Amino acid sequence: MIGSNHPGSIGKHIPRREDKNLLQGRGRFIDDVPEPRNTLFLGFVMSPYAHARILEINASAALELDGVVDVLSGSDMAALASPISAKIEIEGYRENARPVLAADKVRFVGEHVAVVVAADPYIAQDAVDLVEVKYDPLPVSALLDEVVSGNAPLIHDDIPDNLIFESRFATDGFDEAFASEQVVVRETFRTGRVAGVPLEPRGCLAIPGQAADTLEFYTSTQIPHLVRTALAQVLSFPESSIRVVTPDVGGGFGTKAQFYTEEIAAAAIALKLQRPIKWIGDRREDLLTSIHARDHIFTVEAAVSKDGRINALRSDMITNAGAYSSYPFGCTLEPTGGVRMIVGPYDIRNYSYRARSYVTNTCPSGAYRGVAQPTCFLAIEGLMDRIARTLDLDPAEVRLRNVIKPEQIPYTNVLGIKYDSGSHEACLLRAMERAGYQEFRRTQYAEKDTDSLLGIGICCFTEVSGAGSVGWRVRGLTRVPGFDTATVKVEPSGKVTLHTSQATAGQGHLTTFAQILSDYLGVAFDDVVVDEGDTSSSPYGTNTFASRSAVAAGGAVIQAAEKIGDKIRSIAGFLLNADPKDIELADSKANVVGHTDRCVSFQDIAQTAYSMAGIALPQGMEYGLHATAFYDPPPATWPNGVHIATVRIDRRTAKVQMLNYFVVHDCGTVINPMIVDGQVQGGTVQGLGEALMEQIVYDQDGQLLNANLLDYQLPTSMDVPDISIDHISTPSVDALGGFKGVGEGGVIGAVPAIVNAVADALAPLGVNVNRLPLRPSDLMRAMRNAGV
Amino acid sequence: MIIAGERRVPASRQAVWHAVTDPDVLRGFIPGCQELTQTEPYQYDAVVQVKVGPLKANFSGRVRLTQVDAPQGCRIEGEGQGGAAGFASGAADLELDEGSGDTVIRYAAEAKIGGKLAQIGSRIVTGVAEKLTQTFLDNLVNHFEQDERAA
Repeated sequence: MIGSNHPGSIGKHIPRREDKNLLQGRGRFIDDVPEPRNTLFLGFVMSPYAHARILEINASAALELDGVVDVLSGSDMAALASPISAKIEIEGYRENARPVLAADKVRFVGEHVAVVVAADPYIAQDAVDLVEVKYDPLPVSALLDEVVSGNAPLIHDDIPDNLIFESRFATDGFDEAFASEQVVVRETFRTGRVAGVPLEPRGCLAIPGQAADTLEFYTSTQIPHLVRTALAQVLSFPESSIRVVTPDVGGGFGTKAQFYTEEIAAAAIALKLQRPIKWIGDRREDLLTSIHARDHIFTVEAAVSKDGRINALRSDMITNAGAYSSYPFGCTLEPTGGVRMIVGPYDIRNYSYRARSYVTNTCPSGAYRGVAQPTCFLAIEGLMDRIARTLDLDPAEVRLRNVIKPEQIPYTNVLGIKYDSGSHEACLLRAMERAGYQEFRRTQYAEKDTDSLLGIGICCFTEVSGAGSVGWRVRGLTRVPGFDTATVKVEPSGKVTLHTSQATAGQGHLTTFAQILSDYLGVAFDDVVVDEGDTSSSPYGTNTFASRSAVAAGGAVIQAAEKIGDKIRSIAGFLLNADPKDIELADSKANVVGHTDRCVSFQDIAQTAYSMAGIALPQGMEYGLHATAFYDPPPATWPNGVHIATVRIDRRTAKVQMLNYFVVHDCGTVINPMIVDGQVQGGTVQGLGEALMEQIVYDQDGQLLNANLLDYQLPTSMDVPDISIDHISTPSVDALGGFKGVGEGGVIGAVPAIVNAVADALAPLGVNVNRLPLRPSDLMRAMRNAGV
Repeated sequence: MIIAGERRVPASRQAVWHAVTDPDVLRGFIPGCQELTQTEPYQYDAVVQVKVGPLKANFSGRVRLTQVDAPQGCRIEGEGQGGAAGFASGAADLELDEGSGDTVIRYAAEAKIGGKLAQIGSRIVTGVAEKLTQTFLDNLVNHFEQDERAA
């Protein structure tokens, strides 16, 4: 029965259940959770220096302020909570822990050196300004390009050369294979450093139990179970006495899939003072302390045959870890991701990589939507275009010659990664057709418009999604379990509650999981209520990130539906005097196959199971109607897709105007097309920001120069073109339900497609586009340097 | 951030040098100066209120004159702590050129800012620094013009 596809709600445009409340302003976000009357508020004292010794902290003026209860320094906090370490078990990684508050040294601007506890948040802010900290500034290493060149000041005593991770790989006979081709195409890409910028900044509320020694912890996170496990560990407090609850989460994009020091501080102080503690971050704190991402140097080099086939590929990825390895993904996720995903949809048999990550005096980096993939596909897709220019071939043609063909699937790539299904070539052909690619190429230079330049860019990509335990172990991440869980409870009324191990941050789980359960259990969609994000009611699991919800928790829902379905069929068989094997379930009813009149409702079955009816269950059958299933998905599922963007660049202002945008995407079984389209659109817009405008700017002293949304530029509706989305569906063979993830493909496809379109427009002028973001000022400079 | 320029002051070089090194006179030139005291020769402690966009803070710090070649010029080095607003530090090379009855001040300053000041003010801080420099020079020129009028 498992894996069967019931006709029903899967695949339908069902409006999101969560939208009514949100659109009516009834969302309940972290700051809306009512705080108890005696709640105290935190204010963090942040370092203005990127690298400095802390000489003295004088909190006397702050403590004299009316309403200030306590001020804790790094050593005070060290007595309450241990440092946090991601425990990455992979060769080449140097273990590194981060204290909750800096004790002896600060290592990035914004790192916390003290925390004020006050009666209200305004007093807390005033008191923060009164805490005097004396620093002895140290030499700073903030810019990745300078670290790589060597001689950077040491940031951690136990990380020589500031090199926190290094890994290498090469296929047998790689050098010979590379040397066998005469055409070598090479490029180095430099990506900008970006932030996730969720609409709702982070925050938390820690409430110690009134009588028992417990802790109730509300936090704006994507990973409540991992937060609970980590809190128990650093606080040495029983995990079973902690309840973590996520209210509505106003966007995460991975920035909230990390465990943060503010969360530890709030919980530790709540337990110390036995008072509720609340902290709500503001936008500046979010930009300074929520994980950053990208900031990569990616060099690719291909040995190519004369007809444009890549025979051998070499990549070298350097990432900026920031000052500490973040929890739970550490600083290895991006380098291992970039070099392992880059072969993507292409049939490349000889491959070698080197991946490195350096610590710097900047905010720790972490898992932001797409992780390393916008960069590695920028590299390989940028290389495809350069191969085309070198060999005077069409860029689409070069891709078609290298892409994995349908007859090669199932395909095991050069790293041993299996694609169980996929539509790599079909997506490219469909996208070219929809974008009118050949027509665009014919007319690109026809019109002698002297004021603007036209360009078209393609990105073919795969997306690693829904990884199971094996997928995480391969990358050394032992703090990320890999499985997910579903508990189905048929209540005495016959209505169904579905608890999943996930924690929605806007992905529409309350709708899609109900669709899956409805189809696989035969329960009416309206009879299902989905509940998640509360560790006291939802079963343990890996939570919500890396495009894993549909694959991992969706699979668990299918398995749990199968388990509970068996019991429902048993009871129905007993009630209908039929063999359970002859019972089918649909629309919250059970009937004997072929006899819709021999039927009993879920309500009647549930009342029997809960002993609420006149009929007792037969001896030996357990009462109740619950089932829990744990599902560990394949190492990964591999959605694929193609983005094609067209742009016009104003020669005088170098402003890039998006013209048309086409996406053809394959995420296997589409559960809810509206939600899938929303994911693709949102991701594409974030990719547009990353390509054209977004950049966290650090100067060489490690000062963050744009911790505000006036200077950190995000796309607005004025920048976004109509995004045309089409789907090809090749269901996963190995993953239950055929689902593949869809959360990150938008940004992965958009960055290379848009950059390639800009590069295509400027190539005739001799301008090489290899550095993000492509702001008008940067493009103008590049055009001038090229003598335009 | 680099600020450079020159300004003609209607006074002798000796008079200008005296004005910019005498704390009682200098205090009046510095926009937002709350306190200025000489701690030792060519060294001053100062508290200056500065407003950068939405930030207003008292910067307290120390200013030293080095490479003093009175009255021809010197290097001015200083740093100020603005508490939660961050910090600023910088150095300026000052050259006084004697003219006929006046003095041309040439200056080239390099400044660094840190903390909140950099995070939310870096886009406007150069403009603010330029403005403060011009105000300082205006005050200096006015000082001597008033002297002239008084005479």
